[in-house]
Amino acid sequence: MQNKEAVLEDGEIGSATATEPGFDEWDNFGDEDIMQQQSAIQAEEAKKVPFVGDKEPLCSLAAEYQSGSPILLQKIKVLDEQYAAIRRTRGDGNCFFRSFMFSYLEHILEFQDQAEIDRIKANVEKSRKALQTLGYAELTFEDFFALFLEQLESVIQGKETSISHEELVLRSRDQSVSDYVVMFFRFVTSAEIQKRTEFFEPFILGLTNTTVEQFCKSSVEPMGEESDHVHITALSDALGIPIRVVYLDRSSCDSGGVSVNHHDFMPMASDLPNASCSSVKNNPFITLLYRPGHYDILYPK
Amino acid sequence: MEVRSNPAADYSSGHRRPPAVQSKQPLPSPQPIDTSSVSNRLQKELMALMMSGGDLGVSAFPDGESIFTWIGTIEGGKGTMYEGLSYKLSLRFPLDYPFKPPQVKFETMCFHPNVDQFGNICLDILQDKWSSAYDCRTILLSIQSLLEEPNLESPLNSYAAALWNDKEDYRRMVHKQYFAGEALES
Repeated sequence: MQNKEAVLEDGEIGSATATEPGFDEWDNFGDEDIMQQQSAIQAEEAKKVPFVGDKEPLCSLAAEYQSGSPILLQKIKVLDEQYAAIRRTRGDGNCFFRSFMFSYLEHILEFQDQAEIDRIKANVEKSRKALQTLGYAELTFEDFFALFLEQLESVIQGKETSISHEELVLRSRDQSVSDYVVMFFRFVTSAEIQKRTEFFEPFILGLTNTTVEQFCKSSVEPMGEESDHVHITALSDALGIPIRVVYLDRSSCDSGGVSVNHHDFMPMASDLPNASCSSVKNNPFITLLYRPGHYDILYPK
Repeated sequence: MEVRSNPAADYSSGHRRPPAVQSKQPLPSPQPIDTSSVSNRLQKELMALMMSGGDLGVSAFPDGESIFTWIGTIEGGKGTMYEGLSYKLSLRFPLDYPFKPPQVKFETMCFHPNVDQFGNICLDILQDKWSSAYDCRTILLSIQSLLEEPNLESPLNSYAAALWNDKEDYRRMVHKQYFAGEALES
């Protein structure tokens, strides 16, 4: 899927540039017109699917496929035994990062796990150092880091700045918060990949024929670029957070029985706190549903 | 290719801008947008550029009152066919910067495979490969490198692309356009 997209992107470079309409027509094209048009398009999109949707019972997933593939319906039945609900995210190429953002902050808000907050803050600082070492100008990433840390602080209860679950949902739908956090994760992911070039290089060569740095510049850092297992591995490693991805696709195993595959992205052992290592290993608290090209959030029963 | 449709307006760069330009500054959008974080970032970029840009042969400064419209300058690299020439560019930052790239174009006539007659630039980081990790400094440096390392495969100016390997004639065209532009300006 990612490869197909890459080809599409490549094809667009030339034409997008050549047909760029307005540069010579700046005088005729008011900013306000463009802004209004843009925000109208965005508002229309947002009405269809907000950045982060409401929690829906899992049967809403089955409803989507009512006249669809029997394999998928059988798989959804299997999912129904393990999962209670789904929360959809907008399919704008940022859905993995957006799902991760909401799922993680929601977990902190519900469990108030101070040890986890301290742990992730330490990892955030490591990412900041990595970016500095890689030569990124502080001013290009500091706002995104600050905004994420602010959200992290605000889900801790009992302070003046504390926010409710309802407010977390609203903020995740507010572009001026949501996109900043997505971009923060993109920086963290890019830093991790470039810090461990030798490790990621073979995977990246399998996806595209570019250098690790080019991959980060063109497939990680720009908003709207979709995520692959490389991104998920890097983000999970960088922050030390295990992520479970459940795959809903038409594949079936030869034995005939229907089962739903999942993959647990486990951060490198050295990044996990020793004491809680085993418990974390058993229970990734972030579970995402992957359907070709898109990620949503799943809630276990 | 020779003359722009409205050279007087295009070349009136520098300190005084015609009043019409004022209306092009970002207007309050229908939905309230907090632009303070954007102008904060632009202020920081300006400071950083003033500290380091000069050594690299690039500079930029807000053009008039608005922090959202800048005029940049790029010196042609030493040993390149643009050596000794100084190019002016306009940069217009959108209200959702740095999520969207600024609109950048040459205000000085520039003979180059990836620059068209209106000064539009074909550079991936200014279009679909833009990310918030870039800033004004990296944009200007990228355009400076583009001058000596054109992408000949998708030229906006195919004449320049065809001439690229003929250094002598190419340099002559670079100078001809540059000084033709200057003559129009004065």
